[in-house]
Amino acid sequence: MSEYKKPLPEIQPYSQPFWDGTRENKLLVQHCNACDTNIFYPRRDCPECWSQDLGWIEASGRAIVYTYSVTYEGVEEKFVEDLPIILAWIDLPEGIRMHTNLVECEPEDVRIGMEVEVVYRPVTEEITLPFFRPVSTS
Amino acid sequence: MTKSGLAVVGIAEVPTRRDPERTRWDILLDVCMGAINDAGIDKNLIGAVISNNPMAQPSMQNDMSLGKIPEVMGLKGCRDIAICNAGGASTTNCLRLAEQHIASGQVDFVLIPHTTVQSDMPPQDLINFFATAPLDKQFEYPYGVSFNGSMGLITQRYMYETGATEEELASVTVALRAWGALDPLSIFYGKTVTLEDVMNSRMISTPLKAKECNLLADGGGAMVVTSWEKAKAFGDKAVYKLGHGTRFMSATPMLREDVFHRQSYRESSQDALAQAGLSIHDMDLRQIYGAYPYTQCSALEGYGVCEDGQGAKLWAEGRCGPGGDLPCTTMGDATGRGHTGSGVSMAFYLDTIRQLRGEAGERQVKNCEHAILTTSGGSVMNTCTTVFGRAPR
Ligand SMILES: [Zn+2]
Repeated sequence: MSEYKKPLPEIQPYSQPFWDGTRENKLLVQHCNACDTNIFYPRRDCPECWSQDLGWIEASGRAIVYTYSVTYEGVEEKFVEDLPIILAWIDLPEGIRMHTNLVECEPEDVRIGMEVEVVYRPVTEEITLPFFRPVSTS
Repeated sequence: MTKSGLAVVGIAEVPTRRDPERTRWDILLDVCMGAINDAGIDKNLIGAVISNNPMAQPSMQNDMSLGKIPEVMGLKGCRDIAICNAGGASTTNCLRLAEQHIASGQVDFVLIPHTTVQSDMPPQDLINFFATAPLDKQFEYPYGVSFNGSMGLITQRYMYETGATEEELASVTVALRAWGALDPLSIFYGKTVTLEDVMNSRMISTPLKAKECNLLADGGGAMVVTSWEKAKAFGDKAVYKLGHGTRFMSATPMLREDVFHRQSYRESSQDALAQAGLSIHDMDLRQIYGAYPYTQCSALEGYGVCEDGQGAKLWAEGRCGPGGDLPCTTMGDATGRGHTGSGVSMAFYLDTIRQLRGEAGERQVKNCEHAILTTSGGSVMNTCTTVFGRAPR
């Protein structure tokens, strides 16, 4: 794999399972076994009840676009080759909102409320970033 | 029991510009001496220096945190120094800490300074700073988000929910630049823009266009504050802090339930107005530091000036700009003034004080007795709302 020059996520010990998951093409959501809350982003302690009895559930990988923004300029040099970048916040049925990029679509095809699904892109040996693409209606 | 509180009795500011020849210390000394001279007090009456944190300028941050200001200026009565950092809301917290010193009765006057120079920093470093400091380095930054991109996401949703059009939002920038064009302290002094100019400017992060995004610049300002009792001797120069309220939402934009900060504007303004014993309809001027046009709309909705979703219409109808019946953000916000990092909030306080003193020149709001001002830090992590007046209540 060629050298990846863009920033990698700053992984914390308690978010490691999330990134182990994406490497295995699974989208994991942290779950509090004490109060039954789904947590994003992953924490050491449940932000609702401070329990450390935290586990992981596998998300369906489907989501709804809550909002998006197509960036044409004003990014760091290392991102310029990716322009335009479609930024999006997506709502998972598991009750969490994630920031991502929408891929495999044109900026003009993106709509708030459209259904998207996860697509995994390995960027290094260790890191696979989850992106999302429109669910094909055909 | 007699109420007491904080009053501003001295101010000074340098014009917002991009000028790497003008050093951070030059700006700092000019505004500190200027504010003390404006108050007309002896320098040794300054009992504390509470500085606004100069974001992204570590050497200056060390100087200001660790006591260089009273030492360099020979402030022999200075008993304490501190620095406040809440990003763009830093000045608000300087005022709150100063209030504690004043309320103790042990300090009569507090100096609150700010300085920022961004023109000597490489643009790539600044993009990086604004993309990493207020955003999440694990779940946002790897996706190529810039600060503009983050605000574009919120703006897009604001348009979707309220039906506000790109033209209506562009009218906010036209009005902010119109205020800036009348302000000798603005980097855009004398430079208005038309709706077409805004709409035709380069697309940065949809729906935000180049003229709606911030130009990073240099600047600085300072205030001298004292108690209501001591302020009486300063006559019309004194401007009184009458009430304050703050709400925190979240550090990371995607986690914010109150996406447009409307509820946060509502609750913080209600707290501030209740403390002042005034209503939003008593305010002659509304000053909103949100740095992006949608905030100028959602704040008016949160304040209760209009119904939710109607804020952009007020701007499009010309009611908030020069000559309008609801003057808002005469400071121009970062869009109409130039973005001086954590100093935008300082410039907002100083402009509000000038308006209440009747010293705002061509931008002067007629009979300005009361003003409400909201600052925010980070990626709009909070709303800090303050009510000021020409007289104590
Ligand atoms: Zn829990």
